[in-house]
Amino acid sequence: MSRIQYQVVHRTTYNYAYQVLNGQHFTHLTPRHTAQQEVLWHALEFTPRPAESTKCRDYYGNHCHSVLIQAPHDSLQVTATTLVRVAEFAPAREFGQRSWERALLPSIYQTEALEVADMRLPSPLTPLLPAGQAYAARFLQTGRPWLEALLDLTQHIRQEFEYDPEATDVDTPLAEVFASKRGVCQDFAHVMLSCLRSAKLPARYVSGYILNEPPPGKEKLIGSDASHAWVESWYPGLGWVGFDPTNGKLANTEFITIGWGRDYGDVTPLRGVVLGGGEHELDVRVAVTRL
Amino acid sequence: MPDTMADKLPPPPVAEPAPQPLLTAYPLPAERYDEMFAAAEQPRPQWQALHKELRSTSTAELNKRIQSAERQIRDSGITYNVYTDPDGLDRQWELDVLPFMISADEWRQLERGIAQRARLLNAIVADLYGPQKLLHEGLIPAPLVFGHVGFLRNAWGMQPPGGHYLHLYAADLTRSPDGQWWVVADRTQAPSGAGYALENRLIVSRVFSELFRQQNVRHLAQYFATLRDSLTQHAPRGDGTTLAVVWTPGPYNETYFEHALLARYLGFPLVEGGDLTVLGGKVWLKTIEGPRRIHAIIRRQDDTFCDPLELRADSTLGCAGLMDCVRRGTVLMANAPGTGVLEGGALYGYLPRLCESLLGEALLLPSIATWWCGEPAAMEAALARADQLAFKVANRGWGRDAQLGDQLTPEQLLVLKRSISAQPELYLAQELVQVSQTPILDMHAEQPLASRGVALRLHACLNSNHQFTVMPGGLTRVSSEADARIVAMQRGGSSKDTWVLPEGPEDTQFSLLRSTLTSADLVDSKAMLTSRGAENQYWFGRTSERCEHVARLLRVALNAVLQESEDGFSSPVFTLAGSYVVAEDERPLDRRLLDACTLESEGFGLAANLRRLSQLAFQLRNRLSLDHWRTITQLMRNPALNETVTLSEGLAWLDTAIVATTTLSGYALDSMTRSIGFRFLSIGRRLERLSFLTRAIQHACLEGRHYGLTWLLELCDSLITYRSRYMAQPEWLPVVDLLIRDESNPRSLLFQAVGISDYLRKLEERHGPCGRELLEPVIALVRDLDADREYQPESPRLLEALQQFSVACLALNAHLTSRFFAHPRATVQSDRNLSDAP
Repeated sequence: MSRIQYQVVHRTTYNYAYQVLNGQHFTHLTPRHTAQQEVLWHALEFTPRPAESTKCRDYYGNHCHSVLIQAPHDSLQVTATTLVRVAEFAPAREFGQRSWERALLPSIYQTEALEVADMRLPSPLTPLLPAGQAYAARFLQTGRPWLEALLDLTQHIRQEFEYDPEATDVDTPLAEVFASKRGVCQDFAHVMLSCLRSAKLPARYVSGYILNEPPPGKEKLIGSDASHAWVESWYPGLGWVGFDPTNGKLANTEFITIGWGRDYGDVTPLRGVVLGGGEHELDVRVAVTRL
Repeated sequence: MPDTMADKLPPPPVAEPAPQPLLTAYPLPAERYDEMFAAAEQPRPQWQALHKELRSTSTAELNKRIQSAERQIRDSGITYNVYTDPDGLDRQWELDVLPFMISADEWRQLERGIAQRARLLNAIVADLYGPQKLLHEGLIPAPLVFGHVGFLRNAWGMQPPGGHYLHLYAADLTRSPDGQWWVVADRTQAPSGAGYALENRLIVSRVFSELFRQQNVRHLAQYFATLRDSLTQHAPRGDGTTLAVVWTPGPYNETYFEHALLARYLGFPLVEGGDLTVLGGKVWLKTIEGPRRIHAIIRRQDDTFCDPLELRADSTLGCAGLMDCVRRGTVLMANAPGTGVLEGGALYGYLPRLCESLLGEALLLPSIATWWCGEPAAMEAALARADQLAFKVANRGWGRDAQLGDQLTPEQLLVLKRSISAQPELYLAQELVQVSQTPILDMHAEQPLASRGVALRLHACLNSNHQFTVMPGGLTRVSSEADARIVAMQRGGSSKDTWVLPEGPEDTQFSLLRSTLTSADLVDSKAMLTSRGAENQYWFGRTSERCEHVARLLRVALNAVLQESEDGFSSPVFTLAGSYVVAEDERPLDRRLLDACTLESEGFGLAANLRRLSQLAFQLRNRLSLDHWRTITQLMRNPALNETVTLSEGLAWLDTAIVATTTLSGYALDSMTRSIGFRFLSIGRRLERLSFLTRAIQHACLEGRHYGLTWLLELCDSLITYRSRYMAQPEWLPVVDLLIRDESNPRSLLFQAVGISDYLRKLEERHGPCGRELLEPVIALVRDLDADREYQPESPRLLEALQQFSVACLALNAHLTSRFFAHPRATVQSDRNLSDAP
C-alpha cells in the first residue's frame, strides 16, 4: 500500500476597509486523523496574535479552535500548516459488484450507527429538491453496483456542471445551482449530497485539500489554489468512501481531509464575527507540496 | 365626582336577585365539555361563587368593572406584538375579565403531571446532548432527532450547571369532551406567558376583588421568588456577586412587554445581544462602568439566534462566543440552547415508554394523539384518516403550514401526501380535539355571556431543591370564535386570569407573599446602565434636540420665502439651511425646503430625523412614560408626513412638529428620574444644541451685518426675550451677549457649555475623567471676551471662540463614544471551499 507525504500551507488573509476593534473566530482548519490519513505535524497561526485561543472538538469529532483577537487591526492573517501522510484506498474486489440498495436502511425500526443515520437526512444547505431526486434517479437503477453508480453520478456532475467562481457565493441556494449548473467545489459537493440523500443513501460533506499537479513541463504556481470540498458516502463493510464531483473521480491519495459534517455549514474553515471593519477583501492561498 | 360618591353609599337593598338573562342565554352544546356548567343552571363546584357573583351583579356594574380593566390595560401599556398585524407593534393585550377556575383536586393532578413532564423532558434532552443512549437503543428513532432543526449539534457535550437543561417549562393543555386534559404543546426553548399571567392577575383580582379574597385564590408571587432564588443558587460563581439577566431579542419581539415585566419583577437587568460580550470563556455585560460577569441568563431568544459565530450567521440579536461559554458551563442558560429539539410534538408518541424507562414512572399527563410520519405504520394510519387530523411540519409550531385534514381538497390532499412521502420524518399528524368551552363576557355583544374554546398554559420552574415548582395559576387563552379548533394568541384570541383554589379553607398564602421580594433578596438591585442603554439615551437627547432645531430652521426659512421675492433668496438662513438640512440639487429652493419638512427620503430633513427619533424612542420604550411615547407616535401618524406639501401645509406641519418636540423636552425634564441615563440624555441634548447654535452664529458672522439678526433670534427662540429687554431692532452687541454669553438664557452657548460641564463633573465622581477638559478652555475664552471690542462679527477672538466650540463638540462626542459606548456593529464573515479542478 503506497503512502504519500504532503505539506499543506493554507493562508487566509482578510483586509478590512476600516480598523477592526476585535474579532472572534471559529476555525475548522486542523486536519483530523482518519483511516487513510495520519497527521504528523500541524500549526495554526494568527496575525495579530490572539488574546485567547481554545481548542475543541465538534459534534463530528473535527478539530476546531475558538479564537479571540482583541488588538485593533486592519488585516487578519491565518496560516494553517500541516504535515500529513495519506494511504491509498483500495476497496476489495467483491465490493465492485454489490448493489447500491444494500446501503439503504431496511427499516426505520432497525437501529444503525448514529453517524450514518445522521447523514441520510437533508441538512440546512442541502435540502431535498425534486431536481436532485430526478438527477439521482438517472444513476440509481435497480440492482446497479453501488461503486459504479456513484462514480457515474460523480463524473456526470463533473461533465454537466461548469466551474465558475463568479456564479455563486456562500449564500447561493442549492436550487439555483441545480438550475444554473454552475458553481464551485462546495456547490458541487452539495449537489451530490442532495442527490444521494434524496435516495436515502448516507453521504457527508468533506472539507480539505487536493493536490493540484502542475501542467506538464510547467512550474507549479504556489498559492494559486484554494481549499477543496468533496463527498463521502457510506457502504456496509466498506465504510465511508470519497467521491469528488468537481474532478469526477474517487477521492484517493491526492486528497487531504480536514473534517466532515452534514454540509459546508458544519465545517466552515474560518468563520468570524468582527466589530468594525466595514467591507473586507478576502484572499485564500493554499499550497500542497508532495514531499 | 358622582362615581366615587356612589361608591361610598350603602348598596341598595336587594331581596332576591332576579336571574340574569346573560346567564340563561349561555349555550351548552352536547358535544363539548363546558368548563363552568355540568348541566344547564348547574355550575361546577369551583365556579359556584363566580356564578353567584354574576347573578347578583347588575349589567351596569359589570360594564363599569370591564371599563376599569380596559383602562388599566391601556395605562400600563400591556401589548402583544403581532408581526402581520396592521396595528403593527402596538396591539393591545386582550383580556377577558372572567377568571378561569380550577379546583384544588384537579390542580393537584395537573401540578404533578406538569412537574413530571418537565423532569422527563430534562432527562431526554440530557441524553440527546450527552450519551444518546435513547437513540442507540431505539427508544427514540434517530431520524426524529437528526431531522429536527432544533437539534443543535454545537450544543452537544455541553455542561449545564447542575445538569439542568430546563429551568423553565410551559405546556399548553386542552380538554376533550370526556373531561380529560391533554398536552397539545411543550414550550422548552424560551417559554412565554408567565409574565402575562401575572399582569392578568393584577387586573382581574381588582375587577372581582371581593370574590378573589373570599375564594382564597392561590397567589403567584411565590413562584417568581422561587425562580429567582433557584437561578441564583444554580448559577456558577466567581467574578463578583451573582448577576442574572433577562435577555430579550428587543422591542420588536412579540412578547417584549413580558420580557420587560419579568426583568422588573425579578429585579434582573433587561439586556439585548449587543449588551453581551464574551471574554475568557465567560459572558460579560457591557456597562458604562466596564464589563460585569453574567452568571445566569433567562433567555427569550430562540436557540438558533443565540450565537452568530456558531449558529445562524444572519442573527444580529445574538452574542458571538456564547456557545463556547455554554459548552464550558460558565453561564447558566435558562433554558440551555438546543432544548428546542423537545418542541414540535413528534416525541409525543414515545413519551409513555420514555417515562417508564427514564423515570420508572407512568406518564401522568397524556399528550394529544400524534402520529410522527417518520414511522411508516404511523404515516399510513394517519393518511388513512386524514380528514379527522391536522398535519404540520414536526419541527415547527402551529404556523401557517398547519393543515386541517377535513378542509383539504382532494388535490391538496394529494400534494400533502406527496410531500410527506418525500420527507416523512418532517411531518406529523395530530388528532383534532373538540376543545372545551368556557364563558367570556362581551358587553358589546347581543348575548354578553358567550362561549369560547379554551387552552390552558401552565408554567413550571426548577427550584432550589432540584425539583420543579408549578406556578399555581397560568395563562388561559380563549379562541376568537366560538368554534375555533386551534387556540393561539397569534390568531387573535383573548386571554384570562387563571384562579387555582386552595386545598383547605385556611389562608396561608398571604404570609408567604409577605415574606418574599424584599429589596435585600434581590440579586443585584443596584441600577446598572448598559453601554447600549447609555448610547440610546444620549442619541435620544441629541436627536430630539435636532428635530426641534431642524423644524425651527425650516420654519424661519419658509417664512423668509414668503417675504422675499422670487429672484433673491438671499437671507443667511438659506445658506444655513443649505449647509445643514436640505439636499443640494436642481430643484428650486422652496421645493427643497418643503421636501425636507415632510419627506423621509431627505436624509437630513425633519421627517428623517423624526423617524430616527421614533426608532430610538422605541428602543427606550421601557424607560419612557406612556405620554412620551404617545406624543411621538401621534406625530409620526400625521397625514402630512411623506406627502408633497404646499407652503401653507408645510408651515402648519412645522408648527405641529415644534409643539410636539418642545412637549417632549418638557416631559423629559418633568417625568424622567434623574438617573445616570438621564445625564446621558441631557448631555446629548445640550451638546446638540451647542453645536447647532455655534453653527448658526458662525453663519451670522460670516454674512456680516447686512441682513440683520431677526432671523437668528427667531431661530434661537430668543426674539421675545430680546424684545422684552431691548425694545429695539436687533443689534450685534446685545444679540451676541444674549446668544453667546448670557448664562441665564437657555439658548446661549455659555448656558449650554456650562450645563454640559456640570453633567460631566457629576459623571466624573463615579467614572473618572470624562472629557470636561475639552470644554473648559472655550468657556474661559468666551467669559473673557471684551463686550465693547469683541462683540463684532469680524472680531478674530469671537470667531476663534466659535471655532473652538465647534471643535470641542466633535471631540466630546468622540470621547463619550469611545469612553462609554464603543458599540460598533458586528459583522459575520466566512470563507469558502473554492478549489478548482486540477
